[in-house]
Amino acid sequence: MKKIVKYIMAIAVASSAMFYSCETIELELVDNPNGLSEDQADPNLLLNSVQLGYLSNMSYFNGRASSLTRLNVFFNRDYFAGVTPVSVNAVWTRTYSTTGTRGMIPNTFAIEALNTAAGDGSLNYAEGVAKTLLAHNMMLLVDYIGDVPYAEVNNPDEFPAPNVDSGASVYAAALGLLDEAEALLNGIPSGDDLFDIGTGSGWLSVINTIRMKAALTTGDTATFTSLESGGNFVGGPTGIADFRYQYITNDVNPDGRHPDYINDYTPSGANIYQSNWLMNQMMTNNDPRIRYYFFRQTDCTPGASCNPAGDGQTLSCSLQAPPVHYVNAGFGDIACFLENGYWGRSHGNDEGTPPDNFFRTASGVYPGGGYVDGDNFRNGTIELNSDTGSFEFVLDALDDQVGLGVAGEGAGIEPFILGSFVDFMRAEVALSNGATATAADHIRNGLDKSISLVQSFQSLDSNFSPGTLLDGTVFNAATGEITTSEATGDLFPTSADNQTFIDGIVADFNAAAPGADQWNILAEQLWVTQYGAGAETYNFYRRTGFPTTLPPNLEPNPGPFVRSIPYPANEVIANPNISQKSNQSVQVFWDTNPPSAVSGGFPASN
Amino acid sequence: MKTKFSGILTLLLAFVVQISFAQTTVSGTVSEEGGPLPGASVLIKGTQTGAQTDFDGNYTIDASPSDVLVFSYVGYSTQEVTVGNQTTINVTLAQDNQLDEVIVTAQGIKREKKALGYAVSEVSSEEIENRTEGDVGRILSGKASGVAITSQSGTSGSATNVVIRGYNSINGDNQALFIVDGVPFSSDTNADGNFVNGNNGSSRFLDLDPNNIESVNVLKGLAAATLYGTAGRNGVIVITTKSATSRGTGAKKTEITINQSYFANEIASLPDYQDKFGGGFDQSFGWFFSNWGPGFEADGVAGYLNDPAQLIAADGTVEHPYSSSAFLDGFLGGANILEDEFQDQRYEWRPYNNVDSFFRTGAVSNTSININGGSEDGKVSYNVNYGHLDDEGFLPGNTVRRNNLSIGGRAQLSNKFTVSGSLNYARTDFSTPPVAASLGNGTTGLSVFGNVFFTPRNVDLANLPFEIPETGGSIYYRNGNDINNPNWLVQNAKDSQLTNRVFGTTTLQYAINDNLNIQYRGGVDFFNQRNVSYINRGGVLGAGRDDIRGEYNTTDINTRIWDHYAAISGDYDLSDKIGLTFIAGATSRSRERERQSTFSTDQIVFGVQRHFNFRQVVATENLTFRNIVGVLGQADFDYDNFAFLTLSARNDWVSNLPTANNSQFYPSASVSFLPTAAFDGLKSDALNYLKIRAGVGTSAGFPGGFPSVQNVIQTLNVQQPGLVTNSVDNFRANPDLKPELITEFEVGFDARLWKNRVSLDVSYFDRSTEDLIVFQPLAPSTGFTQTQSNIGEVEGDGWEVDLGVDIFKSENNGFNWNSRINFTQSEQIVTEQADDIIVYAGFGNLGNAAILGEQLGVIVGDRILRDANGNFVVNGAGNYVSETNITLDDGRNIQPIIGNPQPDYVMNFINTLSYKNFNLGFQVNHTKGGDIYASTISVLLGRGLIVETEDRENTFILPGVNVDGAGNSTPNQTQINNSQYYFSNILFGPSELQVYDGSVVRLQEVSFGYSVPKKYLEKTPFGSFSITASGFNLWYDAYNTPDGANFDPNVAGVGVGNGRGFDFLNGPSSKRYGVSVKASF
Repeated sequence: MKKIVKYIMAIAVASSAMFYSCETIELELVDNPNGLSEDQADPNLLLNSVQLGYLSNMSYFNGRASSLTRLNVFFNRDYFAGVTPVSVNAVWTRTYSTTGTRGMIPNTFAIEALNTAAGDGSLNYAEGVAKTLLAHNMMLLVDYIGDVPYAEVNNPDEFPAPNVDSGASVYAAALGLLDEAEALLNGIPSGDDLFDIGTGSGWLSVINTIRMKAALTTGDTATFTSLESGGNFVGGPTGIADFRYQYITNDVNPDGRHPDYINDYTPSGANIYQSNWLMNQMMTNNDPRIRYYFFRQTDCTPGASCNPAGDGQTLSCSLQAPPVHYVNAGFGDIACFLENGYWGRSHGNDEGTPPDNFFRTASGVYPGGGYVDGDNFRNGTIELNSDTGSFEFVLDALDDQVGLGVAGEGAGIEPFILGSFVDFMRAEVALSNGATATAADHIRNGLDKSISLVQSFQSLDSNFSPGTLLDGTVFNAATGEITTSEATGDLFPTSADNQTFIDGIVADFNAAAPGADQWNILAEQLWVTQYGAGAETYNFYRRTGFPTTLPPNLEPNPGPFVRSIPYPANEVIANPNISQKSNQSVQVFWDTNPPSAVSGGFPASN
Repeated sequence: MKTKFSGILTLLLAFVVQISFAQTTVSGTVSEEGGPLPGASVLIKGTQTGAQTDFDGNYTIDASPSDVLVFSYVGYSTQEVTVGNQTTINVTLAQDNQLDEVIVTAQGIKREKKALGYAVSEVSSEEIENRTEGDVGRILSGKASGVAITSQSGTSGSATNVVIRGYNSINGDNQALFIVDGVPFSSDTNADGNFVNGNNGSSRFLDLDPNNIESVNVLKGLAAATLYGTAGRNGVIVITTKSATSRGTGAKKTEITINQSYFANEIASLPDYQDKFGGGFDQSFGWFFSNWGPGFEADGVAGYLNDPAQLIAADGTVEHPYSSSAFLDGFLGGANILEDEFQDQRYEWRPYNNVDSFFRTGAVSNTSININGGSEDGKVSYNVNYGHLDDEGFLPGNTVRRNNLSIGGRAQLSNKFTVSGSLNYARTDFSTPPVAASLGNGTTGLSVFGNVFFTPRNVDLANLPFEIPETGGSIYYRNGNDINNPNWLVQNAKDSQLTNRVFGTTTLQYAINDNLNIQYRGGVDFFNQRNVSYINRGGVLGAGRDDIRGEYNTTDINTRIWDHYAAISGDYDLSDKIGLTFIAGATSRSRERERQSTFSTDQIVFGVQRHFNFRQVVATENLTFRNIVGVLGQADFDYDNFAFLTLSARNDWVSNLPTANNSQFYPSASVSFLPTAAFDGLKSDALNYLKIRAGVGTSAGFPGGFPSVQNVIQTLNVQQPGLVTNSVDNFRANPDLKPELITEFEVGFDARLWKNRVSLDVSYFDRSTEDLIVFQPLAPSTGFTQTQSNIGEVEGDGWEVDLGVDIFKSENNGFNWNSRINFTQSEQIVTEQADDIIVYAGFGNLGNAAILGEQLGVIVGDRILRDANGNFVVNGAGNYVSETNITLDDGRNIQPIIGNPQPDYVMNFINTLSYKNFNLGFQVNHTKGGDIYASTISVLLGRGLIVETEDRENTFILPGVNVDGAGNSTPNQTQINNSQYYFSNILFGPSELQVYDGSVVRLQEVSFGYSVPKKYLEKTPFGSFSITASGFNLWYDAYNTPDGANFDPNVAGVGVGNGRGFDFLNGPSSKRYGVSVKASF
């Protein structure tokens, strides 16, 4: 009996220990405490994810295009190696899925489902905005990649491996989205978005502009003209002035500054190389935007006339002869260095980076929100030297360098579709139709809008102070009084200067022979105007082949020009129905031009 | 009864129990050939009643005249004596085969080794104590076949990978399970961040004091580990601490043992820097990362007077870097202290002893005090252990301080209860300057190593001021001041982890009768780990970590494991020849991990690291928990002591899967057969013993996290302060996810040959995982990028051989030499896979991948572009063109495979020599093959730092072809110079060129000791006294890598996890040497 009692007690102790800690044997604990469940999603917060996905994607399209079309530096000698499938992953994922905080298609369709469920149209604005942005994004994806999935997306149960649709059908689907968006947004007096539009009618002008873009791209002149005459488009009589995102100055938690500012305005100097071709183009034309686009940290680039000996430490190519094929193409003088302290790189230069971060030309006040270029390397003050009793001009070394938190603090913009861009679209249509005079008017309007927007950014650099003594300035060393000078303001173009520039361009255009010469002028001005954006330059370049005046790649044999970018690695690997393209010469559906070739192919500049 | 029970509970650690029996008292001495035998067991046959001999071999036991006493001791043949009317019984035991030794197997079940149908490796305390490393994982390196141990780096306290029988799971944990005193022990590595932005974390077995370990058994196969359930699927390291060891139940006098060690800790992998050329590029001077500048000689083609840059004066000086610095030029408008101090100063153009002098020789002190003893009657025993480790790394600022206190005891009570328990407390304080990856161009995160290793020869790292006086910020030689000065980082940045950990176990046993036992065991393992990482404002990197504004992060990780186990076990003789033992039980394991972090940025007052001193504060929290409940059973049959059969099975239920899929049943069976016992006459002096064994084992794998319910991700402060986004999670929930089943077949034999002087143990295993749980990449166009699903299969097989030879064997303290070799070879092939490729570790474009038909974990990355005929393609500049994706013949699109990190084989050669009171030991390791992507090597070559790059006057023409626009190949004839060859190709060319063969020969350990003979100790308080000099990792040679790099391939560049074969300039290794003293009283 005693044994049995002991036995029972032992069992009791053992099992009570289990019992007291019954949470250790609980099962079916499947809910994640670290996130929201699906039914807790907020449609307006989903819209934020769509909008920020669009912002990031536009930033990608702008950057990818700019480096291919010489607006920015292409950092690779080989087109094949420079545009990798992996580099396409992010934009693709933000379009079709989400990256944690940003994503377009799943969140757009989640908003649609919530709006349908609500049944009272209370989410029309959110759904309309999301669909508008998605439509533009899908068109650009087709422009850059070609045939992409659409009909079978976002439905993994039925389509675990979506097939691609033809680019044309995706365009059609995107236009369908715009029709839906128009119906949803029509008449909504106000709503919240991140792009400072805020009204249904404002978004209608964006919708129409995207339709114009589609018409232009696919050669549908009639639709373009009809939308044009409606007047409700970006920069049009009844449309919003510019479609863009306004960055902010907040630098921590989160860093909301313009990406170019983040890269260039650091304690250890600038990190972006500006395009030698673009800077030279603007310098040669005396373009009134140059001091806003670029901020020089020095007035002398090694190798230029101020320092013909060059500098092996900061710019090793200044000691070397430019490549033969570059010279033969007529670009030998901009291969390495430019005059006046413009310090950048040429297309295809993949060399390591020397310690030139406080010398190279940084991005300026437009669009990144950096410095205005006021010859800051000559900024200074007139100070009394107590030893000699005379006044001296003392350079203010701080002002000629980039730094953290200076100037516009990064409160720039990401241009999506600016009013000036639409003028250039109209100019292109007019010129294709042979309406040269109309085209010239549109170029004039486009430059006018562009210059006034760009120059308005000067106010961002509030610390800018006119303290520059120009060559030939005379001041009285005894009194410190300036007797002869060119006022600092004279560095900056006046409205008369702007007008002179625009008139000159238009005059050149009118004087040019019809055909290639006129196209080149239009294209070059489009390029300069697109600085900071660029997405459409890649389309224009493949659509028209102009400008033919761009420099080649520093690599004599860079491979054929990229006619479409590869499919992203993450899609190809996981989707058996999509195979990688055999090369980058595959043309998108609207690109009916001759194929790329290493020499003599299309576009001619390559 | 009740009072008695509470008495038992309080006796957990009790040392005194009153027990009295009234029977005849028998006493005597148990001895062996050489003298008395302490610790021998004396048992009354057929009962649980017994005693143990004391220090002098004496025992006392109460018995009745009819009782039969069974005298036994491991390694000796058992003797039985009937008591009769004797009151003194002296016996002498004869040595027997070692294979009768008893092994602790799964769930603490003790079995004779000969009965085991699977391979078990044992490591004794002598091989663990007094070692230079405080990390038990590293100490086990090479000690057992089949166990692969990789240090994250030589930094003291850095993490360690412990993998048994290879990596078998793509995304699941491959790390071995640690069982300490019968209870699962968290061996997590809770690192801060990841390898890219900083990855400092200790593996939590660092909390164990190796000097408190009694024994380690490694259960390699699944048949051995089935009873541990899913946690044991990667093999089990069963650790028994001295605290939990009853050391039998014999009487013994209290013994105090003190171990004290002092070691020096130095960097082992210091490169052999060249001293002919200084910083610059293309033979032209500049304050660059690169060391491709002119020579330190004035004249000659490469002399500095021939430098086209003409910046080095004829007197061999250059402008001081703080004079020519463009940063200082502009800092505070140019009016700053350093600018004023160094303006127009000159700087000697010569090589400096910069890297070597950055490191220090660390001092390691390790103290361990162990007290054990027992009651007079031997029924109560106890053990107390205190350990203190003070480990200073070779890296300035790197320390580990650890205090361990553990107590344990065991009491055999009069009422057939036995209670035992152990309780351990560990406090481990680890700190280090930040370490992160470097790909040869600065560092990807905050890291001290990258910037040190590629210091140009002409930079005097030790003597350049590293702090800007006005701000406290970092200043260094680069013109734009764009890398952190390593000395500044050491002073201003730190990652630390303070862990307070309690773990312990209580076991209660009750003998129902002579055949049946019930047992309950409860275990707890709880720790709080506080990670603190900070950097004062004034750094310059700004990537990954905000060193510009300053950052301070604190993270508390609370982890607890509750483990309950209850079982009934029995032992019956079914017939004269057939015996049966069985065990049936239930267990639950509950693990909860809670992480709370506070991240602060934007420091207000320089140098103050508290959250109040930062402008931006963000808090995050994360909670995961999972319960696994199992029932298990095992039956062991033995037939006439020569054939053994073990059947076991377990069923687990897991809490984080829906009920329909949350259960997995898995059985195992193994047999052992002893021909030398079964067949008379087979046993001879040539063949003393032979065992043949075979087993089939299975185990289950369960997913972590909460994979079956779809979530929406909510994020605050996206792009704008206060802006919130909701996003459908790109992880697609999979409610159909089910457990994976792992199956392993194992055969082998153990043999003793030639008068027991040769032992040979061979195993072959073949393992496959079905329904492998994988983080499956989804096509983003489906709306999701990833899910967890049961796709694919990995099959592995391998050989393990352990050979031991007594080369010399002599009696009476003569010359003895024992050599052991263990050999391991295995591979794991992906045999089924739905995706073309899954890259699961490393960077997205450079990592370990699972590709059908290939070794699991092959290294993928970009390779040199091939033309149609397979020739390397070279571009117009004379450099290789890279290719990031290839399409295989069957249409699969993958990243090119550029290496296989799996070694061909690993072999260890362990020797023990002794003569009189001297002993000498050494262990040599040879790892053959296994590729490694080594940034360290490619940086040292690519930046022109080591002796291999001294030939600077010749040109190179890369073998390959130029391909023109029409696709025609012509042989490449473009000459490139030395710097372009190394810089643009070896360092920054296709990743394929940065992969090296990781074969290495290593002198892992060497020791020389002397024990003071007992006769000299007689008049001292010491019972024993020995002194040992030892060294660890004193020499190695990665013989297929450039000598000057002195690269050590034992590095886990991507941290602890499934990634391997990578070094990102974050893992210099250490060598340690010193003296330890062991004394007992």
